[in-house]
Amino acid sequence: MTRKILALITTTVNLLTITVPLIAHHSESAQFDVSKPIKVTGVVKKVEWMNPHIWFYVDVKDDKGNMTTWGFSGLPPGMAIRKGFTKETLQIGETVVVQGFRAKDGSNNASGNILTFSDGRQVFPGALEVGTVPSNKP
Amino acid sequence: MRKSSVASLMAIAVVLAVLTSSSKPGLGQAQSQAREICSPHEGRCLTIRPPNLPPPPANWSMPRTREGKPDFTGVYAGAGFNHQVGRNDTDTPIIRGFDGKIMPPTKAGGDAILYRPVTGKMEIDDPIGLCLPYGFTSQIFSPYAQQWIQSDKWLVIRHEFMNNFSRAIPLDGRPHKQDLDLTWGGDSIGHWEGDTLVIDTVGLKEWWLDNPHPKGSLWHSDAAHVIERVKWIGPNLVSYDVTMDDPKIWTKPWTEQFHMVLHPTWDLLEYVCKENDRCSGGHCVESDAQKK
Repeated sequence: MTRKILALITTTVNLLTITVPLIAHHSESAQFDVSKPIKVTGVVKKVEWMNPHIWFYVDVKDDKGNMTTWGFSGLPPGMAIRKGFTKETLQIGETVVVQGFRAKDGSNNASGNILTFSDGRQVFPGALEVGTVPSNKP
Repeated sequence: MRKSSVASLMAIAVVLAVLTSSSKPGLGQAQSQAREICSPHEGRCLTIRPPNLPPPPANWSMPRTREGKPDFTGVYAGAGFNHQVGRNDTDTPIIRGFDGKIMPPTKAGGDAILYRPVTGKMEIDDPIGLCLPYGFTSQIFSPYAQQWIQSDKWLVIRHEFMNNFSRAIPLDGRPHKQDLDLTWGGDSIGHWEGDTLVIDTVGLKEWWLDNPHPKGSLWHSDAAHVIERVKWIGPNLVSYDVTMDDPKIWTKPWTEQFHMVLHPTWDLLEYVCKENDRCSGGHCVESDAQKK
């Protein structure tokens, strides 16, 4: 993706090449555009722990101070729990980095394929890779 | 389209992290080796690890019902897991399908039934994206828990996915129903061959064979005849073999072997697909959290 596109979004919303396979049982490829990867840094505003996929919302501030709330689709609750990723793993107010692919309709929604906490712990809330599930909150 | 063309055009089928092959010893040669499985059309291969469970102790005996039959009652991680049991009874859900290396050649016309490149229609490309049933045989690979409830005359399998899809299987020796209406679950009957439970299923609607593939989907036909063979092989460990006989697709039946792991602490969760299906078909609904 180009710098031009980058500038159109925000300085904290970055389009990057993500190598995590975008595949899920509840097909993400029908909902998200694999040609539009996204990476944001922001603060968790809300978590919807519901089927068919968890959604979590991240407040992202651009370089002008404008706030945008991005929605990210994570794993289904049932799969997350079996991997040890629980409701308590992602706390409101926590600063996170999220990588995924933008929704096909161009809205501020995306798949949440890689979730990185401020201390470097990483989970894969969307992609079905075997990730490092945090064992304890800091 | 030639297979080679399809293979070159279609990337990746099933997903997973590529895993290493180490495991605890003692499950026997066939179960102690990691093995590579490959999707038949999209070329993606992945490595399946053997379950990391300890070998059965010398005095181990399988659970049995009051009638003396093997008892499979419990909540399991099925073939949709790369069974690596971790702390707090966790396991490893994965997205995988049948191993294309095991499948025999297709008949003339069989490949067109088996593989459907992306069409742009959700009903073909992603029916579960519309919250339609996963159906059998896709359900075999759902990366969710499944609950088996057994009596002397019935086995009920409750899947967490999709919308707690269930199968009720008589074990009383009855034959298949006649004049079956084709359904997502089909008509299943069970019988015992020694300590092995054999489940025979026909009457399946033409539907997905396994999990979604990024550039297409695999399907079985309405002639599919599926035989599951289930047997305890160790504490919390069950062998689960599936024989697929689909004369509209393949030249002969074929069998793939899987494992199921009993998880004593798991409960089946409710799964309602429409609960918060925010981006069905790529059209997202704004959340309250996003409203200014």
